[in-house]
Amino acid sequence: MNAMLARRLAAFALVAALSVGSMLVARGARKPFSPAAPDYRQKGPAGAKVLIVEFSDFECPACRYAEKPLHDLLTLYEGKVRFVFKHFPLRMHQWARPAAIAAECAGRQGRFWEYHDRLYDRQEEWANDKAESFLTSYAVAAKLDMNAWLSCRADPALPALLEAELKDGANAWVGSTPTFFINGKRFVGSKQLGERGTTFIEGELKR
Amino acid sequence: MTHKEHAALAARLAVGAVLVYAGASKAAGPAEDFAYIISAYDVIPRDFVMLAAALMPWVELFVGWALILGFQTRLAAAASGALFLGFLGAVGSTVLRGIALPNCGCFGEGIHFTPGQAFLLDSCLLVLCWFGWSMPPGRASLDRWMQRGL
Repeated sequence: MNAMLARRLAAFALVAALSVGSMLVARGARKPFSPAAPDYRQKGPAGAKVLIVEFSDFECPACRYAEKPLHDLLTLYEGKVRFVFKHFPLRMHQWARPAAIAAECAGRQGRFWEYHDRLYDRQEEWANDKAESFLTSYAVAAKLDMNAWLSCRADPALPALLEAELKDGANAWVGSTPTFFINGKRFVGSKQLGERGTTFIEGELKR
Repeated sequence: MTHKEHAALAARLAVGAVLVYAGASKAAGPAEDFAYIISAYDVIPRDFVMLAAALMPWVELFVGWALILGFQTRLAAAASGALFLGFLGAVGSTVLRGIALPNCGCFGEGIHFTPGQAFLLDSCLLVLCWFGWSMPPGRASLDRWMQRGL
């Protein structure tokens, strides 16, 4: 091997090594995330072979679009999958946190899914500076105990719970909502879930 | 070093640093996140979106470091110019088609740019690529070392 070729190879190796090294520096230390959530945010049998965890934001339009393919999946595999909803209110969505807290308080009265569905169905109606009055009207429509719901919304444990779930999302490298993990495999957005979710679940059920 | 060499070096370093940052922030994250953004552009056939999401950050990283170190400098400058032309075309087409992007995807989840900001940045970087391509790489480059040794 002549000297020039050796130098070329060494230069190539240096560029490749720096590329890998900079990726590793950017990646940092990966941490495990907890799929845990209160029981009222879980559906399906506890021992199911397939676990779907969704990180979602009530104010995010893409999360609303994902409701249909997600609902189709959960209906198709009813009794075979466990679904867990995790909050991931994005900073850019001003009303996502109050909505998440309102839904949590509906959950404490056993009405989480009803409130959740209403928030997505009527997202364009409430996600604005009139959010507070709409969130209250949805609580009335869900026949919640309003005194309990209002005092629950002031519970300091709830912002802490949201922070913990945001941390879970950060540990799982959630960058966009909705992000789904099906037995740990990531699907971002309704397109990925709709196009590849069924095939993946079929594979997991056959294992 | 001549003024031309200084200018070429500054252009290389600027473009290279942007590409390394962009590539590292995307390569470090899950490919599915970047695929989500790429599919929003609707310019790549569906079957190739995941492949593009997995490969593109590595191309940016390699070309970026090649520019910084002056390795195959003219080729790296041409490749980065082609990348920026592609980005400009993709961003421009979404504006023309009225597609609202959730994020330009330029820097993964690190920095979010509007299409207008991304267009401006890519245009400036394209001009710098031309500098890097048209001027000699100079002494502070691996190209010089490969030709002459230390």
